[in-house]
Amino acid sequence: MRADGALAMLDRWGRAALPGSVLLFFVLLTLAPLRAPYLSDALPLLPVLVVFQFSLATPERLPGPLLLAMGVLLDLLLGGPGAPVGVSALGFVLIRAAVVANRRYLVGVPFLFQWVGFCILCWGFVVLVWAFTALWTWTPIDPVPAMMQYAVVIVVYPLLAPLLARVRARDPLNVPDASRGTARPGETTS
Amino acid sequence: MAIRDDFEVVAGQVRTVVQRFALGLLVIAAFGAMLVGKADTVLVEHARVLALDLASPVLEAIARPVAYANRAIADLKEFASLREENARLREENARLLAWQTAARRLENENEGLRGLANFREGPEASFITARIVGDSVSAYVRGALLNVGRKAGVASGQAVVTGEGLAGRIAEVGDNSARVLFVTDVNSRLPVLIERTRERAILAGDNSPRLKLTLHQAIAGVQRGDRIVTSGHGGSFPVGIPVGEVVETSEGTVRVRPFTDFSRLEFVRVVDYGVTGLVGGGSGSPHPAQPPAGVRVR
Repeated sequence: MRADGALAMLDRWGRAALPGSVLLFFVLLTLAPLRAPYLSDALPLLPVLVVFQFSLATPERLPGPLLLAMGVLLDLLLGGPGAPVGVSALGFVLIRAAVVANRRYLVGVPFLFQWVGFCILCWGFVVLVWAFTALWTWTPIDPVPAMMQYAVVIVVYPLLAPLLARVRARDPLNVPDASRGTARPGETTS
Repeated sequence: MAIRDDFEVVAGQVRTVVQRFALGLLVIAAFGAMLVGKADTVLVEHARVLALDLASPVLEAIARPVAYANRAIADLKEFASLREENARLREENARLLAWQTAARRLENENEGLRGLANFREGPEASFITARIVGDSVSAYVRGALLNVGRKAGVASGQAVVTGEGLAGRIAEVGDNSARVLFVTDVNSRLPVLIERTRERAILAGDNSPRLKLTLHQAIAGVQRGDRIVTSGHGGSFPVGIPVGEVVETSEGTVRVRPFTDFSRLEFVRVVDYGVTGLVGGGSGSPHPAQPPAGVRVR
């Protein structure tokens, strides 16, 4: 049953638009000339964090085509001449697919498991982007800066993720099917 | 009832197939974007410029809080070493005053000698001052985003300098935005001179903070501490902008540390070296509109 008042409609739209807007904000933030030591290194990977966290919480509000568009935008904004456009989009889409396929191990589990999951998927993303950029430009790119970015974003994850996780619907019975873990009550995932 | 169950089962299967197919489609679309980018570089360039023009107002809006945060961080860092910093600056000031006297004397002498030799100067350069509104520094790119573009007279290929020396060149220009490619970027190749020996060389970036010097002739003449300046070959760069100094010469590789501190850039100047004047044909006023805060030099 849905309320039909103007405020309720606004509320629904706001909820639907929130994850996309936050992702857009972080995509734009990658360009912000922030001079904070270490943190500014990690800015280009923060959208990955947002994609991971929202794919966990509300995948239905972060559809694949939107991720594709955001990834292309990120590549256009960040990329220099010759860098592949669309490799971030590929990474985003694959992360969403991986999270949705492994909800059993990622939703409703202790925070540490989610962190490990993020470490694994973000590693995949970094390697993917590095490999494609090196192949595309056919130059041996030094992997150390990319590894530094990865290390920093892993450390940043526990600070930012709980904040982003608050977009999840409050009432556990009100969670849409797509965002619910597949585990039944009493079932253990071993 | 049974028919209904069957229908639901089939519908479920169809939905699963579509979902799986959707992922495949998205992956194909991402690959398609990459291939289009490889095949049609002009289209991608246009898309990049459009994206930059759209993003630059947003970045300008968040520039103030970002600058505030940066200042707070810098304050915290400098507070610890205020006393030492002051002593160092006083010492440096004394040394610079001595240099200033020497420079004045040399400038006068130079003027006189130029008059005697009937020396003809190169084209005049003018500066367009710009604020850095965005960093495009990632693991793969070294660059920045400026808040000036074609409307202010910025064109692709122009030199970008700071007070310390050369920072990079303009790579892409939008109406109100431009992207600088720093000299440290892997795509940067710069014709330079070694100031002491006047030997020509190419300075290449590789995304690390140190630049690589490739010499045309023997490497033997290069010493640590040699200053590297732009040679002006290629046309759009003025001669003699300081770039960096040699910090390492070993096993055939010469490493150069750029003078520009890329970690604390806030304002830069784009050098308009009269190429537009050559194209336009008019020597009286080569620039249709005088850029704000533009300064004539030389």
